[in-house]
Amino acid sequence: MPIVPIVVYRFLVIGITTLAVAMPLSLVIYQSFLTAPFFDHSAKASFAAYSFVFADDDFWQAFWTTITIAGGMAAIAVPLGALLAFLMVRTDVPGKRYLEPLLLIPIFVSAVVIAFGYVVAVGPVGIFSTMAKDLLGFVPWNLYSLFSLIVIAGLTHVPHVYLYSAAALRGLSTDLEEAARVSGANPFQVAINVSLPMILPAILFAGVLVFFLGFELFGLPLVLGDPQDVLVLSTYLYKLTNKLGVPSYQLMAVVVVVIIAVTAPLVFMQRLLLRQAQRYVSVRGKGLKTQPLRLHGWRWFAFAAITLWLIITVVVPLFGITLRSFVVSWGEGVKLLDVLTLDHYRELLDYPNVIRGIVNTFGIGVIGGAIAVACYTAIALAVHRWNSGWTRLVDYIVMVPRAMPGLIAGLALLWVFLFVPFLSPLRSTMVSIWLAYTIVWLAYGMRLVSGTLLQVGPELEEAARVSGASDLRVKRDVTLPLIKYGMLASWLLIFLIFVREYSTGIYLLGPGTEVIGSLLVSLWGTGAIDLVSALSVVNVVMIGAGLAVAIRLGVRLHG
Amino acid sequence: MRQVLSATVFAAALAFCAGAQAQVPAGYPADYSKIVDAAKKEGKVVIYSTTDAVSANPLVKDFEALYPSVKVEYSDLNSTELYNRFIAESASNNGTGDLIWSSAMDLQVKLVADGLALTYASPEIKALPKWAVWKDAAYGTTYEPIAFVYNKRLVPEADVPKDHTALMKLLESKPELYKGKITAYDPERSGVGYLFCNEDIKNFPAAWDLFKAMGKAQVKLYTSAGAMMERVTSGEHTIAYGIFGSYALSRSKKDPNLGIVLPSDFTMITSRVAFISKSAKNPNAAKLFLDYLLSKRGQEIVANKADLYTLRSDVEGEATLTQVTKLIGDKARPVPIDQTLLENLDQTKRLAFLSKWQKAKKGE
Repeated sequence: MPIVPIVVYRFLVIGITTLAVAMPLSLVIYQSFLTAPFFDHSAKASFAAYSFVFADDDFWQAFWTTITIAGGMAAIAVPLGALLAFLMVRTDVPGKRYLEPLLLIPIFVSAVVIAFGYVVAVGPVGIFSTMAKDLLGFVPWNLYSLFSLIVIAGLTHVPHVYLYSAAALRGLSTDLEEAARVSGANPFQVAINVSLPMILPAILFAGVLVFFLGFELFGLPLVLGDPQDVLVLSTYLYKLTNKLGVPSYQLMAVVVVVIIAVTAPLVFMQRLLLRQAQRYVSVRGKGLKTQPLRLHGWRWFAFAAITLWLIITVVVPLFGITLRSFVVSWGEGVKLLDVLTLDHYRELLDYPNVIRGIVNTFGIGVIGGAIAVACYTAIALAVHRWNSGWTRLVDYIVMVPRAMPGLIAGLALLWVFLFVPFLSPLRSTMVSIWLAYTIVWLAYGMRLVSGTLLQVGPELEEAARVSGASDLRVKRDVTLPLIKYGMLASWLLIFLIFVREYSTGIYLLGPGTEVIGSLLVSLWGTGAIDLVSALSVVNVVMIGAGLAVAIRLGVRLHG
Repeated sequence: MRQVLSATVFAAALAFCAGAQAQVPAGYPADYSKIVDAAKKEGKVVIYSTTDAVSANPLVKDFEALYPSVKVEYSDLNSTELYNRFIAESASNNGTGDLIWSSAMDLQVKLVADGLALTYASPEIKALPKWAVWKDAAYGTTYEPIAFVYNKRLVPEADVPKDHTALMKLLESKPELYKGKITAYDPERSGVGYLFCNEDIKNFPAAWDLFKAMGKAQVKLYTSAGAMMERVTSGEHTIAYGIFGSYALSRSKKDPNLGIVLPSDFTMITSRVAFISKSAKNPNAAKLFLDYLLSKRGQEIVANKADLYTLRSDVEGEATLTQVTKLIGDKARPVPIDQTLLENLDQTKRLAFLSKWQKAKKGE
């Protein structure tokens, strides 16, 4: 085997990553300084787009609303997610085995599906609202308020924080916690004073990511913000298009640039926090299985709290959307038994693009997800244990696409596929969708993989190096096998994310590139709500089945 | 023997004629067969459309039955995405939709005005209304009345507004009953909403009073007809202002609780505009589909299977020009497909309208 110097590998990986991120990004920035679409001959360089956007009241309103929502949802999701992780990983909460897969449902259900489910279930004339009205004489909640939007966004993002925190907790040996227990601390003191500080880097990662996700929230405000005109930056893009009558790339580009300007300092902050991470390395060359903490009387209270959260974020909306898929209409004065039907599902079969969409979605999740994880791992390994300015650069680069709303990233990639000659034949194939997804979820996937890498103690690698292995060989024979579980978990997570993704594929949607997510948005726009509800249920069932198969095959979410 | 021979010759001649007729539809010029042959060689037609695949499916299937060697690749997109994608693809010269078919009339006219459409005089022109053809490039394909839609369970018969003035009076006289219960397209967020408001202003002198009345009634604004109808049938709202009659008709067939009113003072008529892309890879197949779409056979399906309302007066059924005329007489106001639509895209005019609208929305 020829020995490839690690430097070649590193710069090859960095080069490809930079290109993949920089092409769409530089197009967006370039576009923001023009007066017309970049391919239009009448386009001139100008700041006009910036002046227009900054002079627009709606922009500022959307901007502050977005900050409020992103901050609010992080404030809800981070503590709850970390607490949930502690309960699930470290304590003897009953029914863990069964709860575990359920906890992740909010991640893999498309936000549009959840939002619409809420409208049917707890909207002004929803099933539960009408019940509440019968009992109390009024409906005690208002689904369309900003407050509800924040709460729903926060609760549905708890699993993101949970996954990061749980992964970190599982990687930690429990001897420190045991020591605290032996010294007489109760479970809550253990959680706050011992476990929490050790997984803080993971939690902060998750917090920043949730804040990012808040910035690109699209499905929830699209459906729930519509009636009250609650605008966030991503839905403001829609409104912006209409202000001038003609879709204006330059204005959309400006908004994206603004979003990146806000998120870039956050990345810097996160980077500073991460420098501390090495302190918490705790997977050593030894391991010890230990007893979970006993909660005693609090066991069932914790169980009830988790169940309540699941009911609010999963059962209620999924019940709503499932019900909608089996009825012709619903609401005030409708007897549901009179309107039951299976027609919406029969209709699905009539449409070849819907069938192709279902097949493609599964393919992009399983095959595309696996290739994406391989790419993420390649990048993470390239900078792993490399103290250099390049590492910092890669950290920034992988964060950048996350700051672009999926919708815009999809559009930017469409431009790339249109105007880069050797890529254009791939435009109407699933390759374009795969590349878009992989880039959009780059930060997320990288954090999954590098989070796992952080848990690998340096001495194992050093041992191999001392025995004479080359750098690449160390990565292949020591590091990779050690993070196998982490990679499997990442694959499953990326599968779920890819299958539920709905905004990135919209501009790439065409014959051959249909995926359920973008079909849902497209069908929602045309008002085919019967199909939307049936297709949503198919999507949910498909992922549920995929998850069940994965578990059966022995792929567990965590090691 | 001679008789038998001449009978054979006659039969053969007949068979030949029949064969030729299958090639060229009745009434089309003889050299149309060239287009048909070229289309067969192209083998497919790529359609970008805002009409959802659900409604368009019968058209696609019937077209493929008529020309089995031409396959249809049909993509449904929303009007903004369609526009964005089409201009980018046209500029890249890497292939785009062959036939562009959208309900955003103003954007379609702009694309034609910008020179992105192929000029092609369809043999069907003479069967179409004058307002529906522009520059032999943009073609109206439907005749969709813009209706009021209401929830029959929750709106008492006496309250159902028959025209724009009645709706205004209803909102003013029963504010407690209809507060938050009326819904409409949002002209700030939806191009369709903007178009509708502007046509209302042209056709209804008291339009701004009506908008103010809606503002006072805390009108709930949406960007999709589906969302509005869903909420009207559920009772969250009870009256929707300005809904495509086509969507309402389809929905009311499934849910008899949905009532439809074509306002009797004037009913705006919109039309989905189709044109052939100048950079089409399959221009002949696109011509074939356009002609089919405008033909009597295609319009039968537009009217009776897709519920999109035909604009041909020789097609019978519920969703037809004839039926609309029967209901509202000469009060139909089709939006003409021409350069006046470009005024809608004028930035200054637009911003002025929107700031006036924002006041009306607050009831001022």
